[in-house]
Formats: sequence, structure tokens, C-alpha cells
Amino acid sequence: MVRAIRLLGVFLRIGLLGEAQYRANFVIQLLETGLGLVTALGTIWIVFSQTDTLGGWGPAELAALVGVYFIVYGGIQLVVAPSLQKFMEDIVSGNFDYTLTKPADAQLLSSLSEVRVWRVADVVLGICVLTAAIIRESMTVGWPQTLQFLLALALGSVIVYSFWIILATLAFWFIRIDNLLQIFWAMYTAGRWPVGIYPEWLKWTLTVVVPIAFAVTVPAEAVSGRVSGMTFLGAAALALFLALFSRWFWRQGIRRYSGASA
Amino acid sequence: MTMETATSPRSSRVHPRPWLAAYPAFFRISMLSNIQYRVAGAIWMIGMILEPLIYLTVWTTVADSQGGAVGGFTKGEFAAYYAFLLLVNHLTFTWVMHEFQYRVQYGSFSFALLRPVHPIHEDIAMNIAFKIVQLAVILPGILVLCVAFRPTFEPVGWSLALFVPVLALGFLIRFLFEWTLAMAAFWTTRVNALNQMYFSLQMFLSGRVAPIALLPLWVSDVAQHLPFYYAIGFPVEVALGRLSPEEAIKGVLLQLAWLAIMGAIIALVWKNAARRFTAVGS
Amino acid sequence: MSPVIELDRLSKSYVVPVRDAGIRAGLVSLFKRKTRTVEAVKDVSLSIEPGEIVGFLGPNGAGKTTTLKMLSGLLHPSGGRASVLGFEPWKRPNDFLQQITLVMGQRNQLIWDIPVVDSFDRNRVIYQLGREVYRQRVDELTDLLDLGELLTKPVRNLSLGERMKCEVAAALLHHPKILFLDEPTLGLDVSMQRRLREFVARYNKETGAAVLLTSHYMADVEALCPRVVVIHHGEILFDGRLVDLIEKFSAQKTLVLELEESTSAEALALYGDVVSASEGRATLRVPKKETAEVTARLLRELKVQDLNVADPPIDEVIDQIFSGAAR
Repeated sequence: MVRAIRLLGVFLRIGLLGEAQYRANFVIQLLETGLGLVTALGTIWIVFSQTDTLGGWGPAELAALVGVYFIVYGGIQLVVAPSLQKFMEDIVSGNFDYTLTKPADAQLLSSLSEVRVWRVADVVLGICVLTAAIIRESMTVGWPQTLQFLLALALGSVIVYSFWIILATLAFWFIRIDNLLQIFWAMYTAGRWPVGIYPEWLKWTLTVVVPIAFAVTVPAEAVSGRVSGMTFLGAAALALFLALFSRWFWRQGIRRYSGASA
Repeated sequence: MTMETATSPRSSRVHPRPWLAAYPAFFRISMLSNIQYRVAGAIWMIGMILEPLIYLTVWTTVADSQGGAVGGFTKGEFAAYYAFLLLVNHLTFTWVMHEFQYRVQYGSFSFALLRPVHPIHEDIAMNIAFKIVQLAVILPGILVLCVAFRPTFEPVGWSLALFVPVLALGFLIRFLFEWTLAMAAFWTTRVNALNQMYFSLQMFLSGRVAPIALLPLWVSDVAQHLPFYYAIGFPVEVALGRLSPEEAIKGVLLQLAWLAIMGAIIALVWKNAARRFTAVGS
Repeated sequence: MSPVIELDRLSKSYVVPVRDAGIRAGLVSLFKRKTRTVEAVKDVSLSIEPGEIVGFLGPNGAGKTTTLKMLSGLLHPSGGRASVLGFEPWKRPNDFLQQITLVMGQRNQLIWDIPVVDSFDRNRVIYQLGREVYRQRVDELTDLLDLGELLTKPVRNLSLGERMKCEVAAALLHHPKILFLDEPTLGLDVSMQRRLREFVARYNKETGAAVLLTSHYMADVEALCPRVVVIHHGEILFDGRLVDLIEKFSAQKTLVLELEESTSAEALALYGDVVSASEGRATLRVPKKETAEVTARLLRELKVQDLNVADPPIDEVIDQIFSGAAR
């Protein structure tokens, strides 16, 4: 764990160095994220100009959901997505050999190797929206809600990360899997709305197949303390299962890469 | 059609419109490569289908909570609206704004500029070919949407007939619009922010987020004068037969006006862009 | 001293799909995969002592890189055993990885957009070097490789040669006990090749690290490797001193003569293949076994001022081995 933090530290610094030469990128990123946020909030505004509640969610709760959506999105785009994207390129180019000869866990190295620092903008703006939503609605967010939210967010992060590892690991077998990532991003946009409003088949897809429900909807619900113990149990079980499974799957991928199974 | 080479004795008989003569070839090449990359295309389509599905779900939920209809749309009418929107959005969308960045960066424009045919024609031909191949994915998508959401659709004869030319005009407006914006890549490497701005505006003003009748009054007023709506939302509403003949004619006239404006802008900007590209020499 | 690397009948075979051209064959292969086993490395046994520099020679696809990859832990063998520093390399325990390094000439591990020294810093964290030790080693490598102002430049601004120097330095920060160098001088100009060779030799001498090197450039091998291992079609053809390699495989010797009076090429042809003959100087090729006899005859029958017996150039010998073995 200490190791992971130190590695993340050095990669963060490197990411910052790489991007520091293009400082204007931060402004651009801020602008882009801002636009995305305005679009999301504008949509909510339009929807709530026609109704008071959307599947049991009020405007502020939905704004909080958008905040969480951006926090999680930023988190993925900050480290996980660019690192694993690079990992897939490394598999193609053969540079992954270098990762394997390093005396540190290859999965850890591959998951942290690239940090797109300016993506912090998404996280920061997401937090702002979440906070604004809480204050505006004068929701009572005490310790229990905060803890629930953090727990839900942590579980959701584990689930999404494991899911990405599983997707990325497929690169050991099928060289071209960028298409799969495309599917993930397409599905992810569905997370901007509470998963509960979707038709059953889509709801289940978003819960189990592409686990966006646990990454976005559940933490957003936790803000107003609406998450049942059962849901937490389910999230924890899924997180545990996916974490173990992705680790096992990654090992299989490495075995394949080094020709152990052949 | 016989191909003539420069050495043929009749080579002096140049096609009166060389760009028109080039279309079949562009078309065929693009068809082939699209079939080649059908998996990538099909996956890209998932996003295309998911978006209207999401907004349809949202509006169906709203309609439910408002007693079955909202802003003059029943649940079934929303379903019909988004089914057509899926079709229209697919048939009119372009990827030139993403593509230009690569072309400028990797210098593939140099080849395009060497040809005696304006590059926009190749883009149009390729785009149409792509659309045709991908209909194989879109049509089942529409079918799924129809089965899941049960649209109510009563075709209006004249309106449905008008849909085809209106759609073609919509395609051209959107194509020229995005091609113009894409040229920004000649001046700056950071076109993403610009693209994002365009897409955000388009989401609201074209009718993708919601039929523009559902937007706050002043927004829908603005939208009715901008090209976004005439590329997407207007053809959809014509197909649904929601517009009166007067409204439809007014819309077509505005389409033509925007097409003329876009054409003029492209002619103007392209000259400068090409000069700039050759000057940079990338 | 016990060997640092020991291979015992190490083998690696791949199963590759075979697909004939054409659509029919393509369809058939969907249902029935035809495969073929390729033996990239066959029963390779050898051992390497600490401090040795060993050159792997062989044409493309001979199995050099496969062997190197197995020894550095990247590939799992399909048969046999290997022990590197007492570890089974393909298990890749951290203690093992901490003591080796791999440099591949055609790939880079430095980060493209940022200064070299920051890529070094990444390795400091990965190899868990103390700051003091790290700084000392950076200084030392900067000195030896003349990195100077290169350290603060972004990698993309470096020439290939400069980049390779930095790659090597980055790979050695943790003072590995074994260096696996796969074509380290690929694409470099002659003087840069020499610089790199000198550096490797020096590192070897000062740290006593073992070096395993593959290269297309005979000059690398000649200059660095007292011992060479020739691999062809996955098998070891020769393992020993470079001089013995020539001795063993060159079927001919070169005789360089200086004669008092000019002799026609026809006359010289009686003794061996004439490579050149002019103005009292001549070069002949004779079968190795007959060298002594031919030399005696020459001295007896012609007025020889000077006679030299030499081996043919090493490139030629290697070429001979591979074309011969490929038969």
C-alpha cells in the first residue's frame, strides 16, 4: 500500500511535468469539463421545468448525481483510463516487457503508469456541484450520510477499477479492444440519470454487466442517506468478487503473455 | 462507365464536373473499408442508439409522473419522436470534426490537396457510404426501441413525402456546418474545446435532449432560428407530421437560407485554410 | 565461484496457427484450426560465471531473443530448467528482478515528453533506491556516459544515440548483477557504438556484473565478448572462445605472400584459390588442413620474402557457419 502511494506520487509528478509544458491545457480542460457540466445541468433544468420529480429524484438530488458522475468520471480519466490505455499500447508495441522486468507488481505499475493531471478539473467541478446541490437544498448531510457516501464511493471505485482491469486484461488475448472501451464510455453516459428509471433490461445491464449503477447512482443516493443495508451488502459483495476475479484474470493474462499456458 | 486514362486519345474530353465523376469511386472504396471495419462501426453505433434511448426513458418517466403526457407529447409520441431522431441523427451525423485534427497533424491533407477534386466531395461520398452500411445496425436499433416503448405514429401523407428532401437538406446543412468548424484545425491544435462547445449547443438546440417545444420558451424561440434544429429536429417533426403546412414551408425556406449561408462561409474559409495549410507545410 | 546463470536443456516451443491464403481456407480455419509447433529454442544448456561477458550470435529468428526473454523472466519455457542468480526467472520474484536489467535496442522505456532525469526518478521509486544512493549513481553514470546536459532535456528532443545512452543509464541505476542486452547498438553510428561498448566493458569490470549480449554487429561481439554462443535454429552450434570459433569453423586460411619476383596468377593457382595477385604481392585461400603442406611448398618452390597465415574475417566465418548450417 505504501508502495502504491509512492508510485502514484512519482507518476503524478511525472504527469504534472509532462503537462506543465502545456499549461494552457488546464484552461482548455476546465472549459471542456465546464461545458459538459453546463450541458448536464441544463438538461436537468429542462426536465424539471416540466416536472417536480424524476422517478423519485428531486432536482437537487439529481444535481448531486451529476456531481458524483463527474467525480467518478474524472477519477477514471485521471489515472485508470490513460494508464490502461497505455498498457494496451505497450502490449502491442512489446514495451510491456519492461513493465514485467520491474521489481514491482505489474498490475499496479500498469494501472498507475500514466496520470492525466488536468483531469482533476472534472473531480473538482464535480465536488463543487455536489456541494452546491447539498447546500441549495439544505439537505442535512451529517456524519452518517458522509460516511455512507464515502463507503459507497469507495466500493463503486473498486468495482469500476476491477471492471477496467478485466477489460484491459483482454488485450493479452485480443490485441484490439479499444472498441470495448468505446462501449464502456457509451454506457457510462447512461449513468448521468438514476439507473432506476431505465427499463428492466437496461437497468440490469448497468448494474451487473457494466457496473455503473454502483459507481454513480448508489453513492449519489447515499448523499441523502437513502441506501439500504442490502444495497451496501450487494455492493460490497460485488466489489469483493470483481476485485478477486480481476486479479485472477490478470494473472491468467500474464501467464498467457509469458507463454506459460501454451 | 469506362475509365479514361490520360494517354487515351479521347483524354481531351474531360468530364464537365470532375468532382461528380469521382463520386462512384469514392463511394466504392468507402463501402469496402466500412465493411472491413464493421465491428468497430457496430460498436460505435451502440452509443448512437443509447443516447436517444436514455432521453426517451427520461421523458417517458416525466410523462408518467405528469399523467401520461407532457408538453403536448404522450409517451407514445415521445417514442415515435426518438425513433425518428435516431434515424435522422444517424443519417446526418458526421465525424469530420474529429477527423480533421488527425488529417492536419499527420499531413494526410497534402494528398487531398493534390487531387483536382475538392476534398469535401470525398468526405460526403464516404459519409453516405458509411451510413448505408451502418443502417444494418440502426434499423434493428429502431426496432428494439419500438418494441420496448410502443410508439404512436399516424403518418401524414404530404408530410412524410416532404421528409425525404427535408432530410437531405438537413444532412447538407449539418455536413457543411461541421466541415466549416472542422477547419479550425488548420489554425489551432486544440479543437476539442470548440467541438465540445458545438456539441453542447447542438444537444439542446437541435432537439436531441428534448423536442424543442419542451424547452423554455425563449430557448425554443432561439432554436427555431438556428441551423442545429434544421439539421435534426425539423426533419424529425416533419416526419411525425406535427407541423402545419405553413410551418413546414417556412422551415424548408429557412433550411435553404442556412444552406446558402454555410456554402458561402465554406467557400470563403476553405481558400484561407488551404493557403494556411500549404504555408505551414505540414 | 558458482555460476550466475545455468541452463539445463531449456526449450521453448510455440504453437502457431497455420492459415492458407484464400477465403475457403479462411472459412475452414474457423472450424478446424490447423496449428504447427515451432521450436524456437531446443535443449539449450550452458552456464555463465559471474563477471563473464557472453555474446549470443545467430541470424534473425535463431532463438537468441527467446532465450534472453526466458532468462529475464518474460517467457515461460516449455521444457528444461534455468536458474538465474538462484531464481527461476519466469516466476519473477522481486528479489530477482531487483538484480537484473534488460535493455532492448529497438524499444524505449524512457518517458517521451519529460526530461530524462524524471524517468530516472521513476526507476528510483520502482527499485526503491535511497535518495543518497540514487544521487550518487546518477552522478557516476552521468560521468561515465557523458550525459551532462542531456538529463534535463525531454526525451523526444534527443538523438537516437543520446537516447540510447540514457536508456542504458536508466537500466543500470539499481546496479544489476546481470545485464541482458538485446541489440543495444542497433541503428547507432560507429562512434556511438564504440562509446557504448567501452561503457559496458567498464561497467562489467568495475561491478563484476555478468553481461549477456545479442548483436548483429560483429564489432560489438569482437570487442566485448571473450566468449560467444552461436545459436542457430534454436540450438547451440558453438560455445566457447571467439578465437576457437574461428579455428573451428573456418575451413580455410588466408596466406598473404610477398614475393621477390612477380609471379603470374596462373602459377599461383597451383597452390590455392587466388584472391589477388599483383606486383609481387598475393593473397591465397587454402583449405585449413593443407595449410602446412602448402606453406612448405611455397617456401620451397618460390622466392618468398614474407609469408603470413591469417584467419579470414570473422564476419565471413559467421556467414559460412549459418549458410552451412542452414543446409
